[in-house]
Amino acid sequence: YQWATFARSWFVIDARMQPPGKIASMCSIRLQGKHKPIYHALSDCGDHVVVINTKEIAFSGNKWEQKVYSSHTGYPGGFKQVTAAQLHHKDPKAIVRLAVYGMLPKNLHRRTMMQRLHIFPDDVLPEDIRANLTEELPQPREIPRKLNEYTQEEIDAFPRLWTP
Amino acid sequence: MVFLSLSCWIRNRGPDRFWKVQEIVKHARHFRGRKNRCYSLAVRAVRRAFVYATKARTLKKRNMRTLWITRIAAASREHGMKYPALIHNLTKSSVQLNRQMISTMAITEPRSFLSLAKLARARQQEGFRAALGDGKEPPGVLSRVVLLQ
Repeated sequence: YQWATFARSWFVIDARMQPPGKIASMCSIRLQGKHKPIYHALSDCGDHVVVINTKEIAFSGNKWEQKVYSSHTGYPGGFKQVTAAQLHHKDPKAIVRLAVYGMLPKNLHRRTMMQRLHIFPDDVLPEDIRANLTEELPQPREIPRKLNEYTQEEIDAFPRLWTP
Repeated sequence: MVFLSLSCWIRNRGPDRFWKVQEIVKHARHFRGRKNRCYSLAVRAVRRAFVYATKARTLKKRNMRTLWITRIAAASREHGMKYPALIHNLTKSSVQLNRQMISTMAITEPRSFLSLAKLARARQQEGFRAALGDGKEPPGVLSRVVLLQ
């Protein structure tokens, strides 16, 4: 086999301006080990994933106001429903964590896989994690440029679509 | 004086009960609890185990096939192709390797798998050219279909 086939590598994903669902699906594939041809459910072949800048996550559409995260405290009258915007304000890591938790297979390995996932709301990483990182994954969504980032020549070269 | 009725009271039962019990309990030795020792409990557990074993023979084939498919999908994504595209283009190029062989090749012979992925990619590009290019270009090398049932 190739060298270091069974090694556990550390991936880093930058979640700035990315949809959290796509980030979570990439994370869950690598946490289970399904990106390796030696995958098996019983052989512990998952990798570590570090997610950065989760406080700059970007839902598409109106999901910040419409998506609802519900939970129950167990006591009567304890059904809580929180919108995604409120949850993100209270804890910026929670949206990505819950998304990945829902995408992993629903068995006893899920908790260990969640322990291998490391989420950070901003760029600051502890030294030991930064020393372990091996690969950065490309971002799933191409970030569109703002109008002030285009040069004046590009704006003039754009064809006129309609006359006001 | 001869005692004639004492011999009528002695019962001789079967001599081989030990081995008849062993032949069932030996299949239960790795079970948990009293099922691995006591015959009445072991009989039920062993029958259940054998029923599960017969049903699992068809499931094993299904599970192995899904495992091969997962592994081939993972390896092909490493080379920039997706699993459905890979398999479809390999069958169109009349490569009749089954999923078992392709998955073992992906693990033990990565360069052969890379060559298969490149073959599938070339066939895919030829398919796109044939579909989009209005037929004035020459048809591709791999598209000369030999034999497809």
